[in-house]
Amino acid sequence: MQSQNAGETLQDRMIRLWNASPRFIFLSPSILFVLFLSIFPLVASLYLSMSRIRFVKGGFEITFIGVRNYEKLLSGSQERHFLGKYGEVTPQGYAVLIILVSLMLIMLVRYCLREKIKPYGLIAASAFVVAANRFVPPLVNTLREADVSAEGLGSLYIETFLKLAVGIGIGLYIVNKLDALGVVLRVISILFATRIIWLLIRTMSEGGLNEGGLPGTIGVTMIFAFGGVFFQYIFGLMLAMLVTQNLAGKRFFRIIFLLPMMITPVGIGFLFRMVTNTVLGPIAPLWKFVGLSEVTWAETAFGARTAVMVGDIWQWTPFMFIILLAALEGVSRDQVEASLVDGANSFQIFRYIVLPHILPVSTTLILIRLIEAFKIIDMPQVLTYGGPGTATESTTLHVYNLWRAIDLGTSAALAYLLLIVVTFIALTYVNFFRRRVLENL
Amino acid sequence: MIRQFFIRPNPFAISPARKIFSYSLLIFWTIVTLLPFYWLVVTAFKLPIDVSTGPKYVPYVDYKPDTHAFDDLLFSDVAGNFVTRPYINTIVVASGSSALALLIGSTAAYALTRFEYRPKPGLVLTLALSVGLGAYLYVQGLSMILSGVVAIAVYALIAQTIGRRFKGSLGNSDIAFWLVSQRMLPPVAVIVPIYVMYQNLGLLNTRLGLIVAYTAVNLPLVVWFMRDYFQAIPIELEESAFIDGASQYQVLWRIVMPLAAPGLIATGIIVLIFAWNEYTLALFLTGADTQTMPILVAAQNATRGPQWWSISLLVLMMVAPIVLLSALLERFIASGILLGAVKG
Amino acid sequence: MRNLTSRLTIVIVIVAVFGALAPIHAQDDKPFDGVEINILTFTGPQIAEPLQRRAPDFNELTGAQVNVVTVPFADLYQTILTDAATGTNSYDAFVFAPQWMADYVTAGFIEDLTPYVEADAALEWDDISPFFRDFSASFGGSIYTIPLDGDFHMVYYRVDVLEELGMEPPRTWDDYLAIAAAANGMDMNGDGEGDYGSCISKARSQQSYWWITSIAAPFLQTQGTSQGVFFDTETFEPLVNNAGFIRALEIYAETGDYGPPDEQTINVGDTRTLFITGRCALSMDWGDIGSLAVDPEQSTVQDLVGAVVTPGTTEVVDFETGELVPCDETTCPYAIDGVNYAPFSSFGGWSGGVSASIDQETKDAAYAFLSYMSQPAQANEDVTIGRTGFNPYRISQFEELDPWLDSGMSESAAENYLGAIQDSLNSPNMVLDLRIPQNQRYQQVVLDTVISQFVAGEYSAEEAVATIAEQWNEITDELGREDQLQAYLGSLGVER
Repeated sequence: MQSQNAGETLQDRMIRLWNASPRFIFLSPSILFVLFLSIFPLVASLYLSMSRIRFVKGGFEITFIGVRNYEKLLSGSQERHFLGKYGEVTPQGYAVLIILVSLMLIMLVRYCLREKIKPYGLIAASAFVVAANRFVPPLVNTLREADVSAEGLGSLYIETFLKLAVGIGIGLYIVNKLDALGVVLRVISILFATRIIWLLIRTMSEGGLNEGGLPGTIGVTMIFAFGGVFFQYIFGLMLAMLVTQNLAGKRFFRIIFLLPMMITPVGIGFLFRMVTNTVLGPIAPLWKFVGLSEVTWAETAFGARTAVMVGDIWQWTPFMFIILLAALEGVSRDQVEASLVDGANSFQIFRYIVLPHILPVSTTLILIRLIEAFKIIDMPQVLTYGGPGTATESTTLHVYNLWRAIDLGTSAALAYLLLIVVTFIALTYVNFFRRRVLENL
Repeated sequence: MIRQFFIRPNPFAISPARKIFSYSLLIFWTIVTLLPFYWLVVTAFKLPIDVSTGPKYVPYVDYKPDTHAFDDLLFSDVAGNFVTRPYINTIVVASGSSALALLIGSTAAYALTRFEYRPKPGLVLTLALSVGLGAYLYVQGLSMILSGVVAIAVYALIAQTIGRRFKGSLGNSDIAFWLVSQRMLPPVAVIVPIYVMYQNLGLLNTRLGLIVAYTAVNLPLVVWFMRDYFQAIPIELEESAFIDGASQYQVLWRIVMPLAAPGLIATGIIVLIFAWNEYTLALFLTGADTQTMPILVAAQNATRGPQWWSISLLVLMMVAPIVLLSALLERFIASGILLGAVKG
Repeated sequence: MRNLTSRLTIVIVIVAVFGALAPIHAQDDKPFDGVEINILTFTGPQIAEPLQRRAPDFNELTGAQVNVVTVPFADLYQTILTDAATGTNSYDAFVFAPQWMADYVTAGFIEDLTPYVEADAALEWDDISPFFRDFSASFGGSIYTIPLDGDFHMVYYRVDVLEELGMEPPRTWDDYLAIAAAANGMDMNGDGEGDYGSCISKARSQQSYWWITSIAAPFLQTQGTSQGVFFDTETFEPLVNNAGFIRALEIYAETGDYGPPDEQTINVGDTRTLFITGRCALSMDWGDIGSLAVDPEQSTVQDLVGAVVTPGTTEVVDFETGELVPCDETTCPYAIDGVNYAPFSSFGGWSGGVSASIDQETKDAAYAFLSYMSQPAQANEDVTIGRTGFNPYRISQFEELDPWLDSGMSESAAENYLGAIQDSLNSPNMVLDLRIPQNQRYQQVVLDTVISQFVAGEYSAEEAVATIAEQWNEITDELGREDQLQAYLGSLGVER
């Protein structure tokens, strides 16, 4: 490496910088690219979600209205559409709630014991949670009840926001100093998770957990996301394992299995409308033969959701397949051979050699697919238009339907609520599942 | 059951029963995959009446194939460059953006597996807050420079006083999570701000604009997948190269990248497919000259109902190049030998 | 170096001379030589095709170069708004549904065409049917669009099926249900299997909010077009929380009993296909089935299709009480044989508007092109071609049968089809689509979602109307009740 001196040319200096800072040069282009396309749009659409748009002479007018759009979605006219219709919770429903909440509490206690959280840390953490519970709701209520047309609405929000930020900041600082930040974060997560579980118990699985409930678009999205990703992973793994065997023609299968992923999502929607048509599609004779000619999947909520999921699974299994294939090909043959010699059975080989090798990439794969699956829109939009009723309307389709009627404020607010739910689920997944899986390899 | 699914080193060890079982599953899934494709092919040659009067399976037997979809889209008087222009746009935009995403994304992934970054949470939060403040001031009518100055001043103040005092720090996985979290918001939610931003930057209706957008959208995927592949490469190889006097760039380019080639190709195919098929951003950021193929497919559903024959034809046209490319590259993906050899 | 400079100079001089000469050269006889017009519409073949086909002729005539730019149908409304509202202004003219006009006019995005129309004899404005001239193309007393297409609902029936049943075409919605019930399960296409009594698509985000308005309209509107079917013209209260709208919801749901099992997820394209392949006895649609049914490439029911004006009712809503009262001379002044008809001009018919933020010469050229497209010489030919998607809207288009016969219709079919259109157009009680700012939120979001939920059994009829009324009022209050009321009155041509 060159020493710094006065005679250094610009070129030399460039080279020196280049050599000195690969850790900066490697990472920053990505960060800058993503920031470029995210920072302004994110901030702008957050602002949009708190405003109302009107077209006036010569353009448009954006009025700041605070949390009104969020209120409409969570406790107003869009509540039933977004969150669902609440049923009467049955004893089974309460049982499920109690079991899940106790499980989370047990995990919290175990965390405290494991990390040896000091008593004063625990006291500080509880004090923080109690204080937050005492002081945050009134502040939020002030915002909810504020007069939308008033002049000082913006400064009221700034003021409240600053109060909250300073209060929470000081609280977190103290808690952090006492090593109890983990407890606080976990308690917040448990509270949030309980809310989601309670919502799902009240709206989903009508007849089991509740009477008379209907899932809203968020519940439907979760059915699609979790159900779809589960089957995609299972099928993708099975197929990848099948074609890593030494079979004739495996290269043919490998290419064929990739095909569905290559079709543009809108195109897949149309394709499945053709293929699943019980009168004009290729399965029509089979359908008639089974005696179902007067019945279609499209009539019932269950049938329509199944059709959407089948399409989604068909489309995205290849995604799982290709990544798992690349991972499986990396499994060391010597290791497998050695354990075979040691008399290991198939299950043991899978459990102790194959699984550890594909787990890291699997957890990434599932995370990415979950994030994508929460944005599912094309399949329900083209295949069922979200019907019958709202049975297959995902949250993103709900966002799109509001957006295309230029209700930009509410649609941005809804997108942000979805973002919060997905972030929470993804963080939970990464911190409680992925990390643990990778540590226990 | 599980017995069937693991890797045996010895080809002759596959029992006939297992062979039959495997083949029947493989052939079943092949049919599941290919039947819809077969349907696309036959539909592309159907007249409307052949589509609407019940399932017709085999050309010449069930119905008389007709090339009207080809004529309408490709060869009629008003067709012009109706298909060719979007086709070229798609090729340029998808290949450009996926090459770029692969290049800068994989270097970032490498950096995240080999170097340690420790951004302080307090500093990051303060940064986010000051950016928000700056944006708010700008929206409130302050000049761009003034709001920028205020934001920087607030950032410096808070960062120096309490920002640095937070215990602990974020790590590489948090950076990676931040990157992937950028994919969580549905694109419709940010499309209007992006449109306004592009309009001000003059990127609207340009291929470059679309390439930049797709690169940013696909980067998180590249970073996440390549991280796993790089992690599987033993660090000893690199260390010996450093001892031989190679620079960080040489190590990455000459040693690490070739070893990660299967992963690069698998990831590359995936991001290429994503960019190739993207709809929402393309719809808003393009005009007549830069429209891409997915828009053309979606547009076949107009007031007269979906034009099944045109949709089928366009989908097949879109899929063909990617299928060819994957068939060519498949051997590299499959030859995880590279990785396996290193590990073993 | 010097050589290069001198060459460059020569090139620049030549270019400059040509540049200076060009406009002079253009002066001779073509008024818009060198003008380029970008027209935005949706990706055809419908609507875009005739524009593209006639652009070269127009270029020949005037020298203006017309570029037709297309986006997918579902995104046209937002594309126009985004382009105009952000000042991008990539387009000089738009061909769109006049239903969207309210947003474009109140924001000043499209030009007031009244002076242009007044100075344009070739357009033969008076030949355009009064409904399209006075209501559809106008807003608040000024003309903003040039009609290229006429849109309203009609009911189509299978002539042979009705003959077999010994029934007359439906006059009221009760007739419609009776025919549908009787015909359901009959084999109508000769494949030995039962077909459907009625096909009305009920998919989300498609056309259902128009169908329900067509069914509800005769219950709600009795006093002529200016009465309106959506809101009270005094208080702007939604006209849904009444016995008439509830009855309409019940009729709408009952048609589903005689329809294909997947009616809740198919759209009008699918029901058209079902109808023209002989699988339905009745269907509600725009003018499209008429021209599609004669196309041998698509249809198996050539000459078996009849059309009537959308059915009426013998009972109408008394808004004092919200209950249904029988039709008499005071309650239904426009009733024919005791039946109150209210044909619904849903969507409004594709029309052309000119951007307000371009230079005058381009405006003139864009207007000239739209006028050219609408002039009888061109339009009367285009409306008979099924592919164009244009339906008749000019009086002269009903008088000349020949173009229709040339397009493949039999004489009786042509008379029946044109008769049904004419009945609708001549009705003084024709219903105007909702044209107030952000009408998409009222119709596409609220009305559409709630009636789909009602059909799927998620709401009862009473809950449905209450929800619609509540959510409509919420939007109204957001946007300002008085502003919305003024826009609504403006669209109905009411002076207050």
